[in-house]
Amino acid sequence: MKTDFKLSSKMHLFIIISSIIIAIGAAVGTICQFVANGYFNYGADWESYKSVTVSYVSADFADKNEVKEICEKAFADAGVSYYYSVSFGEKSGNTVGGEYTFKFNYSVKEEKLQTAVNAINAVIADKSKPNADEDNNVESVIMSTASAHTVDGLNGNGKALWRGAVAIASVIALHFIYFAVRFKLTMALGALLADVHNLAVFVSLLSLTRVPVGSSIITFAALTVLLTAIGTCFLFDRVRKNAKDEANAKLGAFELTDKSASESFKINLFMPVCIAAVAVVVFVLASISAMSVIAVLAPAFGAIICCVSCGYGLLLFTPAVYSRFKQIGDNYKQNHTRAPKENVSK
Amino acid sequence: MSKVKSAVITTLFVIAIVVLALFSTVSWPVAGTDGADTLNSFVSNIHLGSDFTGSAYVMLYPEGVISAADYDIVVKDDANADKDKYEKKYSPRGGVYVANEKLEDEEGFKASIKKDADILNGRFGRKEYSSYSVALEDGGFAIKVTVPTNYTYVDYKNNGSLTEISNTVSYLMLDGELTIRNSSTYEGSKSVLPSVNDKAADCFKDINLYSMAGNYFVRMIFTKEGLEKIKPAVTEEASAYLFVGETYMTGFDLTNDALGNITDNTLTLNAGKSAAQDYSILLNTVINGKTLANSYNSAAENSATSIVAVTPAFGEHAPIYLFVTLLLVLAVAVALPFIKYKKLGYVCAMVTLIYALALVCAVMLIEIQITVAGALTAVLGLGLLLFTNFYVFEAIRKESLLGRTMQASIKAGYKRTLWTVLDLHLVMLAISLLLALVCVGEAAACGFIFFIATIASYVLYWFTRFMWYVLSSPVKDKFKFCGIKREAYDED
Repeated sequence: MKTDFKLSSKMHLFIIISSIIIAIGAAVGTICQFVANGYFNYGADWESYKSVTVSYVSADFADKNEVKEICEKAFADAGVSYYYSVSFGEKSGNTVGGEYTFKFNYSVKEEKLQTAVNAINAVIADKSKPNADEDNNVESVIMSTASAHTVDGLNGNGKALWRGAVAIASVIALHFIYFAVRFKLTMALGALLADVHNLAVFVSLLSLTRVPVGSSIITFAALTVLLTAIGTCFLFDRVRKNAKDEANAKLGAFELTDKSASESFKINLFMPVCIAAVAVVVFVLASISAMSVIAVLAPAFGAIICCVSCGYGLLLFTPAVYSRFKQIGDNYKQNHTRAPKENVSK
Repeated sequence: MSKVKSAVITTLFVIAIVVLALFSTVSWPVAGTDGADTLNSFVSNIHLGSDFTGSAYVMLYPEGVISAADYDIVVKDDANADKDKYEKKYSPRGGVYVANEKLEDEEGFKASIKKDADILNGRFGRKEYSSYSVALEDGGFAIKVTVPTNYTYVDYKNNGSLTEISNTVSYLMLDGELTIRNSSTYEGSKSVLPSVNDKAADCFKDINLYSMAGNYFVRMIFTKEGLEKIKPAVTEEASAYLFVGETYMTGFDLTNDALGNITDNTLTLNAGKSAAQDYSILLNTVINGKTLANSYNSAAENSATSIVAVTPAFGEHAPIYLFVTLLLVLAVAVALPFIKYKKLGYVCAMVTLIYALALVCAVMLIEIQITVAGALTAVLGLGLLLFTNFYVFEAIRKESLLGRTMQASIKAGYKRTLWTVLDLHLVMLAISLLLALVCVGEAAACGFIFFIATIASYVLYWFTRFMWYVLSSPVKDKFKFCGIKREAYDED
């Protein structure tokens, strides 16, 4: 598959597209940092939040919606609102009760939550009194109760995060140095730009799409750099070979880059598409297995976003911007190469 | 190469692949045990991450802190004799109840728990779990430790035990200093090393994990001062006992023979893999001054010591679905070359299967935990292999269009792509090694998987050329064999 895209002439377009993606991603992230649950939508393993857990006994509350209504009233009185609630257990059958968990933003003040918890406890204590007087059976010991919790989700992953960041930075540096030694400085700069751009787009898309982010983010960021390294190897190898080919001697920097990008298009499309396809299959099968889309969203969409950012970066953005690097490099070379001495004897 | 030679070599490789594939995917009952014992397939012995087999968590409450449930069970029971005691002793804080004496310096107490959480984070981080978390909960009065169950499919299917995790948690949450004592009972025993006026850091240079030939050891490296101080305790029959705080860990000989064999001031203690790892992590952090300030889950009032298993996020049958997905990928990878390169697809199929089997064996033997990202990394490695082969095949196709014979085209095609392929693999090797060494957890595992995949890909790149030669030697129309159409040239 060869393309006739004149990528080099569309550099400004791709820079604008990338800038818009990165800017919107940063804006959404910053807004969510203050009004929602953080810059990223942290998944279950990284989520930091405050919560109120209400355990209730079936004997006290025949209808679990009654528990929810009591809680919602208490939250409204205390001036706090939750963004997620989940209930466990059954109000009848073998179990003796259930549990409600309400999640609040991390920024919600503990005092307000405690006020709400005290109010809930006061209401359910009144409801529980008749049971407390009953005979010593199991149900009379297990009482309805509410309590507030704080979860610092990201705290335990600090080491993994900074080690991952150091590793990715080292990988980018190594990528640059290898290309500077084995290829050319302009190509090394192109590789560096590709790495940084693809990572930035990856991070921005994560923030923009609000896909749940967990510990896999480091791995997918590393996968982004790996895919970029593979892609740049093929792209710049084509550029190097085409530049050496005498048939292309008359081609300028833009034409040569376009030709190379066109020749490596298929091979650079192949890898991200394959990984994305596998991620989709994993997502579909895992959704069936888990009977839930939310539970499997984070790793599957993390992989797809990684592939999208790499695909866009490698196929469109990098060749377009690299063509300018090459032109600057070629001009520099031309201006600093001595003209062959004229034959004085003539 | 003659037809016979080609057939023999191909048959040998096919037999090897089939046998390895059978052992990799099928579990067999062991003969003579009446079906009681099973030789599990390699695939079912691969450790899976929390996505597929779930995670386990434990709540750690420092001394003086109890959960609301523990409090309520006493206080809400009017018949309980301790009701008044609890009401006087504890005050509510978040979802827990804290002893009033601890609340006299509430911020200081919370800071000590935060510091302990950081130390625990460091300790659990050294266990190299694919994912784990040490999080403060309940206003900073409790610590929640979550780790993957690290089950293989066999463990998962048979509701494997959480004993290993339980042991790890019970060791890594130990508080107090390291001492070598003269009795296995703390009460009445005497510290041999360090003595009353010494610090552990002055007596031990390092304590680390050492493994050789499948055996695991805790290696204690004494300082000269430490070695001199332990010598007076040496007798013909003496034993020494390692303690952290007041908890006995393990014993060892402290005889002339044992100490006489010490080289480089190093004493090694034999232990099982997990125990040796736990001991070395704990002892190393302790001698480096990272001791916990609080004692966790030790109070009698506290019942929350059990490990709680959490269902995998990907559902109950997630491991099966993972296996099906990877089989689908493998089927596509095998079928694709047949469509484009006809009988050359046989070579690609062999190479793809060898790659898959090599990776299964390596992952099983090295005990790398497979998560979604790990599985995708393995697929990326397969992509690299196919990618490289297709790249070379296209170069060969271009060479053949110049009018060369098939053998000459292959030679020229491989020569043309030699440096590109080498560059690609060298970059991948360096990147994956860097990720494996610098990252921790899942990212490190993925780096390691890709490191193995890159080596396999490069070796199999050359193996492709070899098998191409072997399989195509007896074939008359070598162009047709690999689905390449030769250009027709005019007679003149």
